[in-house]
Amino acid sequence: MMTVKNLLEKNQHVNGWRITEKATLSYELFFVHQSLETVRATDTVSTSVTVYVDHDGAKGDSTFAVYQSMTEADIAAKIEAAVARAKLVSNQPYDLPEAGEVTAELPTNMKDCDMKELGVKIADAVFAADTLPGGSINACEIFLYRDTVRVLNSRGVDKTQVTHRAMIEAIPTFTTEKESVELYEDYRFTQFDAAKITAEIAEKMQEVKARSEAVKPAVPMTVNVILRPLEISELISELAWDLNYASVYSHANLHHQGDDLQKDGTGDKLTLTLKAVVEGSEKSACFDDDGLALTDTCLIENGVVKNYFGASRFGQYLNVEKPSGSLRCAQVAPGTLPMADMKRQPCLDIVSMSGLQLDLYNDYIGGEIRLAYYFDGEKTVPVTGITMSAKLSEALSSMNLSTETGVSGEYDGPQRMLLKDIAVL
Amino acid sequence: MPFSAYLNQQRENCAALVEALGKHFQYVSILGTDVHATMIRADRRSSAVQDGAGECGFVVKMHDGKAFYEYSLDDISGDKAALAEKILAAVQADPALEGRMISAAAVADEPMVKDFVRESDFDQYTDEQLLGICQELGKELQAKDEKILNAMVAIQPYVVSKLFVTKNRQLSQHYSWANGYLMVVYGGEKMVQARHGEGADNLAGIIANLKNNTDEVVDLARHLAKATPIEPGVYDVITDSSISGLIAHEAFGHGVEMDQFVKDRALAKNCMGEYVASPITNMHDGAAATHSVASYFFDDDGVLAHDTQIIKDGILVAGLSDLASATQLGTDPTGNGRRDSYKRKAYSRMTNTFFEPGKDKLEDMIASIKHGYMLFETNNGMEDPKNWQIQCTAEYGIEIVDGKLTDHYVSPVVMSGSVPELLKSISMVSDQFKVIGAGMCGKGYKEWVRVADGGPNLKVRVKLG
Repeated sequence: MMTVKNLLEKNQHVNGWRITEKATLSYELFFVHQSLETVRATDTVSTSVTVYVDHDGAKGDSTFAVYQSMTEADIAAKIEAAVARAKLVSNQPYDLPEAGEVTAELPTNMKDCDMKELGVKIADAVFAADTLPGGSINACEIFLYRDTVRVLNSRGVDKTQVTHRAMIEAIPTFTTEKESVELYEDYRFTQFDAAKITAEIAEKMQEVKARSEAVKPAVPMTVNVILRPLEISELISELAWDLNYASVYSHANLHHQGDDLQKDGTGDKLTLTLKAVVEGSEKSACFDDDGLALTDTCLIENGVVKNYFGASRFGQYLNVEKPSGSLRCAQVAPGTLPMADMKRQPCLDIVSMSGLQLDLYNDYIGGEIRLAYYFDGEKTVPVTGITMSAKLSEALSSMNLSTETGVSGEYDGPQRMLLKDIAVL
Repeated sequence: MPFSAYLNQQRENCAALVEALGKHFQYVSILGTDVHATMIRADRRSSAVQDGAGECGFVVKMHDGKAFYEYSLDDISGDKAALAEKILAAVQADPALEGRMISAAAVADEPMVKDFVRESDFDQYTDEQLLGICQELGKELQAKDEKILNAMVAIQPYVVSKLFVTKNRQLSQHYSWANGYLMVVYGGEKMVQARHGEGADNLAGIIANLKNNTDEVVDLARHLAKATPIEPGVYDVITDSSISGLIAHEAFGHGVEMDQFVKDRALAKNCMGEYVASPITNMHDGAAATHSVASYFFDDDGVLAHDTQIIKDGILVAGLSDLASATQLGTDPTGNGRRDSYKRKAYSRMTNTFFEPGKDKLEDMIASIKHGYMLFETNNGMEDPKNWQIQCTAEYGIEIVDGKLTDHYVSPVVMSGSVPELLKSISMVSDQFKVIGAGMCGKGYKEWVRVADGGPNLKVRVKLG
């Protein structure tokens, strides 16, 4: 990194620069059923350099990758090429983030663990849940990572953060004489808890058993639908992404400050804050790709758009006094309805979807439901083979959020969202 | 632009590391990658010329007569014995797992030495020329309608060099591909985005096609601004090539990735030789099956590119495999072992996936529908190889009434249902054929690779919502 820095500082055509280096150590286990098929390890470094050139009253920039294999002469040539490219680019001027030094380790209990030993503990925790008669875990992939990200720039930024993270991809399966069904589990964490992993997989095993018993209900019907954290998180991400500075600057955002997303709403009002750190989330960070310190930012308060968020450059374009940085975690305020109360009326409690389909522009929310529990007012049965479809604005206006909250991926908030009167086919 | 000079210099290093690791493993391969991607983009208020997502590094794959081991690293220069010891220590399983290894058969290492090259015209264009084209096209789009809030034009070339070395095999390949995009943000009755994508191994073709499609993308934006939600229901549907390709990809592309057979994750494993689609249905996958974005010469396991017919006259006849899955299943690998990058594992992956053209005329297919929709442009899809459910999202559809396309657009359109029901409902197949090389495909929610999908127009009956 220091060679790159020296070469950048020597080049008189470079008015500013940024170096981002990400070093990753990983240990990975790939199981077929309960047998180990592949063991992987990686030791790699990615280095990205951005060169800034002020010309003709504008600022140009260009980014290139530096590989370990490059010689000093190779890197010098890449800098020259990047200067030439940056001179072709004429963007509105902006400043790079100013000096700041940080060395941070994001919260984890895995930093002192030997990756190989931890891999075994995680595998044992997963397979401890493989006890259901008729059930099996047909595949399991375990990834353990230690990422060290360092950002330097020409204005004195020198920030480093270390993240320890793990991911489990497991395929709980249930087989009867008639058929075999599966669900997909993607579980990511920064705090190792064997009992929590076993409980998470065991819950999926029960759900996949339910999928084997699921029937297609009488459709079409209009029913209240309950979403779980994965789908809530996708919806929240979509709403948030629309409010980033770059979208606003390029006139691509649908919603604007002051807009009420839940006009004439009868349900819980949405309050959404983007956060730098959510404990347990692998997306937590102290600073963004520019080295800008992240500032928690409330985007939507009681259903009304309050702020935008994003990278320093586009924040400056919008005259934001203190740009938030590219925040990646979201926190939603709890709602008013306990999860148990959501299920007192007829409802479709969705366990697994093919993928929530969202289209803000066309005001759409929908998707194929792989497994849900349908409560018709008297009894609950597992159902499958159905599709939901609704106007997003109407669904948001009347939605309720659960009082119970928790962390799932980059989302921290209500564990259930109730959408009312949704068409199901 | 020639094969990577850097990788060329690493041939001896690779051979020496293979030899050093060969003392510990029955089979050792090294894949070296040097991929350069460029992103050139202009919109109304900003522009960029920079490196895209490239890579340069090595992945070592080893087999000890039982399980597989892989190690990814950036540099293989230096003392090979020391590096081999480092790799050995890194991939060694914890003693607690040693009794839980699979036992796969020996890996074949057929001798071959060959260098493959596919030329492109990329050297004929400078960054300045390409950025100028993007800026000009952006201005042209912007001038077509005052309701256009922003117009973005991008050209993204990438150049691939890969080196594959084992004890008996030394292969190299060098090829290029580029994608081009037009996108407008339109503020009509509602704000919409309309897109057009191109892919080719020559920039001249991409630039010409982008220029030829500026009117179309603006016209599409105007229609999308008036589009309504579709009334959910079961309809007769005509697919464009991109939606046909999406069906092929999601239905029996993922469904026949044979690493899923090993894990008992694919229903198709038990359906070989059975009718899974209408008898007029034929489907292929392969890097050598057609010329598009995934047309390489050998895969990331060093297996030469294939043309695999997956469905023949409605009958499921073959699957797609990487080296590890083929070794475990006792079959020949089909050249479908692909990696997200040298940092990731090789899996069985699709390449260029498509239905064969048929004999029907598109106008006859439309005329055969009393009330239905013609669907256009892939947005996304999701597979379910175990349970054969499918979800495909089209950017938009046009209503067909009394055998004619109307001016009524619907957007977005989510097509879902059972794979066999959908494929067995194919009643007409057009004589047109197009493969679109602009897609990315994940396995689960990771492991992204470039893929192409396509085929003719299909007439199907399916649930839309």
